[in-house]
Amino acid sequence: MNEWKAKKPLEWENYLNKEVKVTADEKNTYQGWVFTVDPVSGSIVLVNFIDAGKVSVATVMGHAIQAVELINEGESNTTEKLSALFMPTGTRTYSNEELEQRKSRLKSWLEKNRIPVTEQGDQNKMLCVAGVLTVSPPYNPEDCNSSNEIILSRVQSLINCNPEAGHKNE
Amino acid sequence: MASPVMVVRLPRGPDGQSRGFDPTSERYHALAPSSIQASNNCSSSCLKEEQRSRSVLRERFLRSLITMTGKRVTFTMYEQVTVTATFTASDIDILNFQVSDLQTPLGVQKEALLRCTDIIACTFNL
Repeated sequence: MNEWKAKKPLEWENYLNKEVKVTADEKNTYQGWVFTVDPVSGSIVLVNFIDAGKVSVATVMGHAIQAVELINEGESNTTEKLSALFMPTGTRTYSNEELEQRKSRLKSWLEKNRIPVTEQGDQNKMLCVAGVLTVSPPYNPEDCNSSNEIILSRVQSLINCNPEAGHKNE
Repeated sequence: MASPVMVVRLPRGPDGQSRGFDPTSERYHALAPSSIQASNNCSSSCLKEEQRSRSVLRERFLRSLITMTGKRVTFTMYEQVTVTATFTASDIDILNFQVSDLQTPLGVQKEALLRCTDIIACTFNL
């Protein structure tokens, strides 16, 4: 077990949000801001901000790490910048108009595919598909509810294929 | 992209009946670290601190893995080998990565399992 992997979690936590240079096996070196260190494998996740809003992420495996050198302590805003990068898209909120738009787009896509769909619930927010599956706002594949596995997977893949959606990886 | 190569042999599945992580399997004992780093002879408050720290670090790491799924990742491996693939999943101990469309010097493998002990680092762009 190398020296880096033998450190305690609290020692690893000290490196968070700082810029380091990691020397790994076979003379590979990686420099970047430490987003995290995995306590199970000791792997370091480094983030580099390339210009034009692009970000490059490097995960150096714990077993390959030979040395870690501190380069920069970092300012107060690096913490927020780093955390914001990896937040899930699920935290995105839609306005009422956007929700209505998404609902009607989904409804017409399902009808185009000859699937019976009705609106129900208060303010007609939910879509009911074939009487066995419901879709709640924001009408992503994850928002489908059904007790029938087969219908659930079919409808989910259908929603994923929706060409009008155009925002799959936001 | 080059056309996929034929699969000449199928990968072995997990041992036994289990379809996932099995702490009693020989594979786990052989490959995983025998113990996770932890302090001994520590007061309960210091253990609590350590556990809190471990959770924060692990949660951030899992988030970075989630962000990596579906992206083209470049794996730097031993013996100066570099390959690219679409990262799909990792196992709980970070011992194996499941990838798709692995570009190798021999051709493109549609689905593959990479041993993490063979990997030095993986990089991708957000």
